[in-house]
Amino acid sequence: MFRKSIFALLILLLLAACGPTRTSTPVKVTTEPAATVIPSATFTTTRSTTSITLTDGLNRTVTLASPVQRVVSLAPSNTEILFGIGAGAQVVGRDESSDYPAEALSLPTSGGYSGFNLEAIVALHPDLVLVGGINTPEMVASLEKLGLTVYFLPNPATLEEMYTNLETVGTLTGHTAEATALEDSLKVRVATVDEKILPISYRPTVYYELDATDPTKPYTTGPGSFVDLLIARAGGLNIGAQLKGEWAQISLEQLVVANPAIIILGDAAYGETPEKVAQRPGWGTLTAIQTGQVFPFDDNLVSRPGPRLVDGLEALAKLLHPGVFK
Amino acid sequence: MKIRPYLYTLLFLIVAVFLSIAIGSVFIPPAELGRILIGWLKGAAFSEPLKTFAFILTDIRLPRTALVLLTGAALGGSGAAYQGLFRNPLADPYLIGVASGAGLGAVLAMSVKWPYSFWGLMAVPGAAFICALLTVFLVYSLARVGKTVPTTNLILAGVAFGSFATALTTYLMLRSTGELHRAIAWLNGGASQAGWGPVLTVLPYLAIGLGILLLSGHALNLMQFGDDQAQQMGLPVMRARTLILLAASLATAAAVSFSGVIGFIGLIVPHVMRLWFGADYRRLLPLSLIGGAGALLLADVIARSVMSPQELPVGIVTALVGAPFFLWVLRRAKNQGYW
Repeated sequence: MFRKSIFALLILLLLAACGPTRTSTPVKVTTEPAATVIPSATFTTTRSTTSITLTDGLNRTVTLASPVQRVVSLAPSNTEILFGIGAGAQVVGRDESSDYPAEALSLPTSGGYSGFNLEAIVALHPDLVLVGGINTPEMVASLEKLGLTVYFLPNPATLEEMYTNLETVGTLTGHTAEATALEDSLKVRVATVDEKILPISYRPTVYYELDATDPTKPYTTGPGSFVDLLIARAGGLNIGAQLKGEWAQISLEQLVVANPAIIILGDAAYGETPEKVAQRPGWGTLTAIQTGQVFPFDDNLVSRPGPRLVDGLEALAKLLHPGVFK
Repeated sequence: MKIRPYLYTLLFLIVAVFLSIAIGSVFIPPAELGRILIGWLKGAAFSEPLKTFAFILTDIRLPRTALVLLTGAALGGSGAAYQGLFRNPLADPYLIGVASGAGLGAVLAMSVKWPYSFWGLMAVPGAAFICALLTVFLVYSLARVGKTVPTTNLILAGVAFGSFATALTTYLMLRSTGELHRAIAWLNGGASQAGWGPVLTVLPYLAIGLGILLLSGHALNLMQFGDDQAQQMGLPVMRARTLILLAASLATAAAVSFSGVIGFIGLIVPHVMRLWFGADYRRLLPLSLIGGAGALLLADVIARSVMSPQELPVGIVTALVGAPFFLWVLRRAKNQGYW
């Protein structure tokens, strides 16, 4: 009898669990008047002739009356794109990790990895918050509820998609010409790399290290990651391409079997050096270590999906094929 | 009825609420704060910078303060009830699996890419809430022996199922590397949406759960004599236990679903209240409720000011500051055999 009544009660609760969410829908609506407090949300009707309407990475429709003037960037890649297309002067705030270019460092931060501070963002009076793939949908919803204009710039999967992101940010900030110019120059640089790599048939095997806290099963970059894409483009064979997931663990056994010709230390910023790698137990037999083909690398060049990916491509190509890049 | 313990804890809560409203990464000078309050009373419109300050207060700080207050009250109240129910000083609101169930639900929901919509955003708190209650129900059913549910069985079933759920959660987290930071933030009590939505959503559950708990002080007092004695004194032990268990779990599950898992408050606040004001559950329950709210508010103020503008998950602060404080109270307590 107790079991029955408890079960009935629980069913009731579960049903009720769906109920109040419905009652909280009006809450979404009631917060809208708050939008009038923020100047950015009130301009929609004033100048509809030049208005910009875009669909962002979360399928949200974002409408701007005119290009934005006060942008808060919440991802390092977004910050690099903004500065790259000449919209740096319109950036008024950034996240903790946005440390490039150096001018960005003087901007106030509004939080980062462990949590963002909504108050700090609101106080900057942004007319656009540019969020990226590293930000959560909850973050977007919170900003939206505060009446802020939010654009979610999705993480690109290819260089082409990265170019599209440049154009999007160009449209949002009114720097379309600079965005196109940057895109063209990047394409020329990529084509130069392609021209030099394509005639060569040699494809060295590459192990790109993300984290070796446990050197018996370090993390490397798997298929679908930008590093994987760029290693292939730079004329190498990523041994992590055989694994599963963008961040994949590889065992030392697999590593010994794959025996990469080149080891790239994407974790150099965390203090890994070629000397330390050579001293790891069991690593000494690897060809790359015996031939001295272990290189520290600036991971920010390949982990932030912005214009510096092309810098990363060039740097990788130079490491893999030093002969053709004099 | 002794009035003094209530005065002290209420005063503590009022101070905590004030600090929570006054302190944030954007500094609002006390004079401006006063002018905003007067402006509200008059219904006047604000000009900059008061306009921004007023907006930050109404749309960011007040809803957050309200959510934290409710969460703290739920954890403190449920903690006291669980300790009384199990007659075990180690009992906390997560003892029979609310936290591990909610964590599993949240991480499960996070592993799916939801469309960006109202329901998509409700997926994580919704799944956490439902899985928390399902876990309690499952543990309760597993612990049944005939018509009774011995507390020892409940604890053991809860611990065993909790380990299972936690292991599954960890496995899911390791598999989906992309959303890892989101899951970690949630499991440490650091993630919630802004605005009044979450507050209004959890309010009915907390009202029911905590309402029942506030009425069960006498029953818990009787239970301290043991099941047989309590039964002889006229308490329908099984029925009362089930009701209190459900009420406390409901309140905790609702609180956890939006605020994430916040440890330690539900364990130490009832103990501190017991050490200071005695073990009468008719008093201990409301005091733990008020004290829990105040303590969590203070922890939240610390969490968002030490590394400002970054925010720490509040669960880290509750343990980091709460543990030494509790040890201090414990050392000072003269009546060591208070339990």
